[in-house]
Order: sequence, then structure tokens, then C-alpha cells
Amino acid sequence: MKRLILAAAFALSASGAQAAAPIAKIQAMLAKPDQLCGTFSQTKQLAGMKKPLASSGRFCVVAGKGVLWRTLKPFPNTLRLKRDEIVHLQGERVAMRLDASQEPTVRMINGVLFSLLAGDLGQLDSLFEVDGSATNDSWKVSLKARNAALARAVGAIALDGGAYVRSIHMAEESGDRTDIVFSDIKTGAGAMLPEEAALL
Amino acid sequence: MNMGGNAPKRLALLWALVVCLLLGHNAWLWLGQRIAPDTDILALLPLDERDPVLQQSFTHMVDSAQQRVVVLVGAKDWSDAGRAADAYRKVLAPHGELISFDAMGDESQANWLSSLQPHAAMLIGAVQEKELREQPARFWTDSALARLYSAFSGPKLGAFRDDPFGLFAGWAQERAGETPVRPRDGRLFVSGAGREYVLLTYTLKPSAFSLGAQQSVVPLLDGAKAAAQQAVPSSEIITAGVVLHAAAAGAQASREVHTIGVGSLVGIVLLTWLTFRSVKPITLTLLSIGVGFLGALSLCWLLFGRIHLLTLVFGASLIGVAQDYGIYFLCHRLGADQGLDSPRLLRRLLPGLGFTLLAAVIGYLGLALTPFPGLRHMAVFSALGLVFAWLTVVCWFPVLIGPETLQPGWLARRYRGAILRWPRLSMAPRSLLPVALLAVFAALGWSRLTTNDDIRSLQSSPPQLIADQIKLGRLLDAPSPVQYYLVRGATTEEVLQREEALKRRLDTLVTGGHIAGYQALSNWVPSRQTQAARLALVNDKLLDADGPLAALAREIGEDPEWVAATAAHLRSNAQPMALEAFMRTPASQPWRHLWLGEVEGVQASIVALRGMRYASIPVLAQAGEGLSGVQWVDKVGGISSVLGRYRADMGWVVLGAYLVVFLALLPRYKRRTWRVLAPTALASIVTIACLGFAGQSLTLFHVLALMLLLGVGVDYGIFMQEDADGGGDAPWLAVGLSAASAILAFGLLGLSGTPALQAFGMTMLVGTTLVWLAAPCFIVKKETVHATPVPV
Repeated sequence: MKRLILAAAFALSASGAQAAAPIAKIQAMLAKPDQLCGTFSQTKQLAGMKKPLASSGRFCVVAGKGVLWRTLKPFPNTLRLKRDEIVHLQGERVAMRLDASQEPTVRMINGVLFSLLAGDLGQLDSLFEVDGSATNDSWKVSLKARNAALARAVGAIALDGGAYVRSIHMAEESGDRTDIVFSDIKTGAGAMLPEEAALL
Repeated sequence: MNMGGNAPKRLALLWALVVCLLLGHNAWLWLGQRIAPDTDILALLPLDERDPVLQQSFTHMVDSAQQRVVVLVGAKDWSDAGRAADAYRKVLAPHGELISFDAMGDESQANWLSSLQPHAAMLIGAVQEKELREQPARFWTDSALARLYSAFSGPKLGAFRDDPFGLFAGWAQERAGETPVRPRDGRLFVSGAGREYVLLTYTLKPSAFSLGAQQSVVPLLDGAKAAAQQAVPSSEIITAGVVLHAAAAGAQASREVHTIGVGSLVGIVLLTWLTFRSVKPITLTLLSIGVGFLGALSLCWLLFGRIHLLTLVFGASLIGVAQDYGIYFLCHRLGADQGLDSPRLLRRLLPGLGFTLLAAVIGYLGLALTPFPGLRHMAVFSALGLVFAWLTVVCWFPVLIGPETLQPGWLARRYRGAILRWPRLSMAPRSLLPVALLAVFAALGWSRLTTNDDIRSLQSSPPQLIADQIKLGRLLDAPSPVQYYLVRGATTEEVLQREEALKRRLDTLVTGGHIAGYQALSNWVPSRQTQAARLALVNDKLLDADGPLAALAREIGEDPEWVAATAAHLRSNAQPMALEAFMRTPASQPWRHLWLGEVEGVQASIVALRGMRYASIPVLAQAGEGLSGVQWVDKVGGISSVLGRYRADMGWVVLGAYLVVFLALLPRYKRRTWRVLAPTALASIVTIACLGFAGQSLTLFHVLALMLLLGVGVDYGIFMQEDADGGGDAPWLAVGLSAASAILAFGLLGLSGTPALQAFGMTMLVGTTLVWLAAPCFIVKKETVHATPVPV
């Protein structure tokens, strides 16, 4: 009898460990710099369109500050995410501003995007079912939204990387797909360009 | 025994029969029927009989809120808040038959937008609609391109082709902005002041005003709160609901029935014993009061089919007046010659007693002229109680109290002498100086007097409840249930069009900071007129052959086929939207209460306001003017103005009552009649002057007290003016005993936590004291009295 209970307890803890093991390994693999900048190239395949849409630009992730996403080609526009707001700049013009005081989920959205770009899987766990696998120097993760509304908004997300996130793949329920590949990643004080520092 | 000796006995027996009936009826009511007094405070407010649609809108708004209990469980961090909320829910879960959890329905939350997709082309945010009219074609091409290439383009609904220009997204964001509450992890989430809250809403099954519901639900809510705080010690629980206020008011009223009733009784018992040194007068006085109370209760129940707890609280003060009749008889018995038997003594006293009752009933029935159902009950209850107590004295006292029953007690001996040294009013300068000083005092006091009819100043809920209510209102940004616009029209379409006309005016008030926003069904379902106008706008500005959509296709290298297909797709999402159909979708659930539907042959709806500032009420009232079918409703202001109107009207009623009483007494007291009324009038004037000096504002309830003071004060005036020849100092003793008891009763009412009763009580306290002190000043010297001979 005693043995049975012990076995059950062991089985439970083992199953818990199994789910967490790759995540912990991936977390250990990821560098967590204060500043991280790089270039991205993005390909979108939208429902009803024949040609894929390609764009590229630069991005920065600064711990404690936020995220800057600058599309440079084919049309320059900038997305800036801070703790309490999301601002979309078209040139100098503010095309859209979402503030936490009017939209309470702004902080949550920003948290998710920051975690995605920084590969902070622990933070994503409350919103997504995280499933992953890891080898010695690379990892793969797939995210499935825990609630229906979020699933509708972002669809299924897959990430892969090593010390940094290398690519993100998003497939929405509507049929729109987005692939983003990161390169030229730099960290540390010199990573951000002066104009980027001015924006963030 | 002669005939005269037998008649009183028969009368006493007959009365005994009536009292037995009363006892039986009361026993049946309390033990058989198990009746419970009402605690609905709203029963004190006047019914709005003027406009049925307006009345319906108010009950609609209030009823939807009345049965709800809203709870916010907050913590520094979302997962803690969730744990505390689960602990809270667990406690209430087994009591679903009493208080049920309003599950938010995961499916409806996720699907609310998809049910609107077929109409998406006509659902355009206000900002986007303005831009559509003003911005050039290039603006829309750029906006679509940015949307197209950006990875995270902000709120996005469906595929790109469903909303290439972000019009529906803008609309959805605008709708989401109407409430700060968001679904999150299967709960409702709201944040503020550094905390994250889980919103739980419950519906109470029994009426929020039923005493039973209050007694069982309030401890349950307390238990749930304790459980949540045990699960997460740092958690904050904010609860709001009408039931909490009702329970607090009920508990306070019950407490006061005890203090006022018991305090009053103890005072009277003590006074009577010190005066008569006998238990018999005490028992008899209590008997008359008891019969009065039972009789009033029985008849009130038969008349109204209900009794309000506040009626009973007010009825507790009845003790102060109902005793007068017994005391008057007893004091005369004490002072009368022992050769005079009690029935004959009563016959001599009967005219005075009769006029006393008449004046008091006139005083109480003045209350029945108010529009407040609760006060009407109180008036009828009190008047009936007095009649029953009076009849008990007249029928039973002569038989039960013989000439040798009573001996003067310590208090009676001490007090009687005071009358001899009391100052009398005359034309001498010594007497006129105090009168002049009093006149100056009164004039100064009256000049300082202000009035206040704000119903909110009558609010007596515990501060904690009010603080919670305010905090919850701020966090949820909930609209006011008592200030809103009522919109009417012959058809649904007309109502929606009128709402839209109103909203155009309100938009400028939002910009001006008077309100944060508004909730209206036309936000969700535009009128057919607006639907058509928006569709034309989209066709004209975006989908034109060489418009922004075509330009977009050129930029990204798509062919005209794609343009045609996308335009057709967008147009296919332009199915006409009908209010009736929308009301059946889950998306309409939080807004259904805004639609009244058909009332009295017209369609009606409500436009509710968020973040309204009280200072902006005049601006808001003005915004509704000149728009046909639109009416500004301010229930608080409405009730306050009714209170004000009745304060003024009751002032005239009081003056009228003085005249009526004067005329009623004139045949008996002739040229002395003014002396009966003068002490009361003087006391009333000085009491109001005192209010002015104390910085208290005059309210309806002060004026109502003056009405009652007339009833009580005239008693004392009559006692003092009645039979100066045979009564000796008995009237003075009766006035003192009555006034002291009345002061005890009403003074305790002045301690009530209910502001209305407190105002009433304090006025009675000061007024009765003043009448007592003033009454002897108006007695005429014995030799000048020309008393009407009383037939014996």
C-alpha cells in the first residue's frame, strides 16, 4: 500500500518534470541581455493574395523599457511598445496610439510581445500552452493560446532559436501567415543606433 | 346603583371585547401569518405618477441593479487575485438557490465579434468616420500599406481582407472602450490603483429588501470575504449591492426600535412612580399605550396589507403622546375631591380630553398629506394609535381607578409648587423685555436659516459601504443608474435616429470633459439611415474604381481581379442590421437593459452616461433640450425637488392647521383661544431660530416635526386653559409629566442614525421643551377667568 502511494507521487512529479524540462533547458540556453537589436526580414502570405509580401527592418528589445519595431522597406513605419502604451508612427505622424488607461489589455499585449522577442517562455506560460524540444545548441517551441479569444487574435505561434530567438512563425485562424527571421543580432550598450535610442 | 353607574361598566365591557378582538388579530398576524415588517427604504419615496414611460425607465434601471451583488477581488498580481476569487466563489457555490453566480459564458465572449462580421462594413468608429469624410485617398492607401507590412499592427480582427482599412477594428476598439472590464483566463478582469481585480457578479434570488434574504446573505458574503482573505491575506475585497444597504438600514432601524421604545418606557415608568407612588397608574398607562399600539397595527395591516419597519420606529414615539390622556385623567384624580366619583370626574374632563385628541389627530393627519407612502402609513398608524389609547382611557380608567387609589408622590409634591412662582405674560415692561429679546433672537436665527432638500443628505448607509460603492464605481467606470437620457419614438428606427442626434451633441461634452462617454444601443446598431450613409461613404471613398483600394493593389502588385474580389467581399459584409436581431445575439447581453422596448404605445430607450461629473448636470440637462423625443432624467434631482416642493407646501399646511385648530377650539375657549395656541407657535418659531444658529439646514422633516409639535403642544395649551376652577394644579402636573415623557421619547428619536428621523426628533425635543416652559406664561389669573360652565 505504502509503495503504491509512493509510486503515484513519483509518477506525478515525473510528469510535471517532463513538461518543464525542455523549457528550463531553453531558458538556460538563452542569453538575457539588457539591450538587444538586430535586423529582421518578414514574409506575409495573406488570404486571397497571390504574392507574398516581403518587408524588412530593424528591431530593438530593451529590458525595462520596451520594444522598437522599425519597418524600413518597402515603407518606413515604426511601432513602439512601452509598458503603458502602443504607438504606431508613420513617419512623424502618430497613426495609432493605444493607452493602458483606455485599453487595459495594453500591458498584457506588450508583455507577450516582449516575451516573444526576448524568448522569455516563463512569462508566456500563463497565456499559452508551451510545448518545446531542445538539442545542445538550438531549440524549438510551439505556443497554443489558452483561451479562445487570444487564439482568434494571434493564432498558433512557433519559435526557434539558440542563444537568441532566430525566427517566429505565426499562423492565424483567418488564413493569414507571417514568417519573421532575425539576423545581425547585437547586444550591449552599442547595439542601439542613436535614432533608435531617441525613439524609445 | 343608578343608571349612570351602570353605563360605564357596560362601556368597559364592550371595550374589553374590542381589545380581545385586537389581541386575537395580532396573535394571528404575528404567530399565524408570521408577518415581517418591510425594510424597503424606497417605500419612503414618492411614486412618480406623472409619466408612466419615465417611471418604467426608472424601475427598469433600478430593478436591473437592485438584485445584483458586485464583488471585486483584487491583489497585487493576477494569479493571487484569481486564487482569492476562487476561495470567495467556493463559499457561495453551495447557496445557488439564494445567490447565484453570473457565469460570463466563454463562448459569448469569444464569439461576440464574429456575430457582427456580416454587418462589419457599416460598423465604423467615430474617428474613422470623420477621417473618411476629411482625409484624401492617399491617406487610406498608406494606412492599408502600414497595416499590411507591420508585424504587430495593433488590434486586428480576422484576416487582412476583412478589414484592410481598419474601420471595423476602430469601431471594435471604441466599443471595448465603453467598459474597462476584459475577459482574461476565463475570468473578468479590471485593473486600477496598482492592483488587478477579478470581477464577480451575483444575482440575488429573493428580493434584496426581504429581511430573510438580508439575514442569510450578508453573513454568507462576510464568510466568503474572510475565506478570500485567508487564501490571499493581502487581497482586497470590494462589495456593493442594494442588499447591503438595505441590511444596514434594517439593522439600524431594529436597533432603534429597541433603544427608543425601551428608553421611552423606562422613563415613563420612573416618572409615573415618582408622581403617584403606585404601580397601578403605571400599569394602566402601559395598558392604554399597548392597546393603542395593537389597534394601530391591526387596522394598518387591514388597510395597507403591509407595515414598514420605519413606521414602527416612528410608532415607538407614539408612546410619548398616547400617555397624555391617561396622565391627564390621573393627575385630575389625584387633585380632585375624594367625594367626586371617577365616572363623574371623567364626564367633567371629557371636553378637554376630546379637544386634545382632536388637535393631536389633526397634527398627525397633516403627515398624511405628504406624497410619501411611508409617511402616510406613519400618520395613519399614529392617529389610530392615539384614538385607541384615548378610548381605553375613557372606557376603562373611570372603572379601574377609584377616588382613593392614588397618593401624591415625591415628585408631585416638589413640582406642583413651581407653578406659583412661574412668570406670567402681561403688559408690564418687566414682561415685555424678554418678549422683545426673544423676537430679536428669532429674527437673527431665521435670517441665518438655509434650506437643503438634497436626497443624498438623507443617505445614512455606513461610510465603509459608501466608500466601497464609490471605489467600485470608479474601477468599473459604471454609468449612473439615476441620471440618464430617455429617448422615445414611434418606431425603433426613429428612436435610433434620435439617439444619434443626441450623441452628436454629447460628443462635444465628452471633448469638454463633462462626461467620459456614453452607452447607447445605437452605438451597436446604427439607424438604417446611418447604415446607408456609412455604406455610401465606404463605397465612395475607398472602393471606387480608382480609389485607395485600387491604388493599394498597384503598390503591392495585385491585379484588378483582386480589387474586384476584395471590394465584393467587403460589400458582402454589409447586410442590413436590425435591432431585434442584435438583441438576440450574446454580444447584446451587457446592453439589453438600455432598451425599454414598447411602453404605452411608444418605443423607448436609455442613453447612459459614464464618468459623469455632478457639476455638469446643468450642462447635460441643457444638451437634451430642443431634441424631439429626448428627455434628461435626473432621479436624484427629481426627488430632491419633490422634497423641496413638499417642504414649502407643508409649511403652508402647518399654517393652515393652526387656523383649523384655532377655529375648532374657538367655540369653547372664545377670547382665550389664542392662549391655547400661543405656546406652541412661540416654541416653533424659536426652534427654527435655533436651527439657524446651529447651522442646520431646514428640511422637510423639520417642517413635519413642527406639524406634530402642533398636535402635542395644543394638548398642553388645552390642559393649562381647561377648568382653572376645579383642576387646581392638576393640569400643570399633567403637562409636566406628559412633556417629560414626550421629550424622553422624541429626544431618543433625535439620536437616530437615520438623518430624517434625527431631524424630526431634535425639532420635537427642542419644541416640546419650549412649549412646556412657555405654557404656564399664558394662563390668565383666576379672577379674570370666565370659564364656560361644564355640565356635570
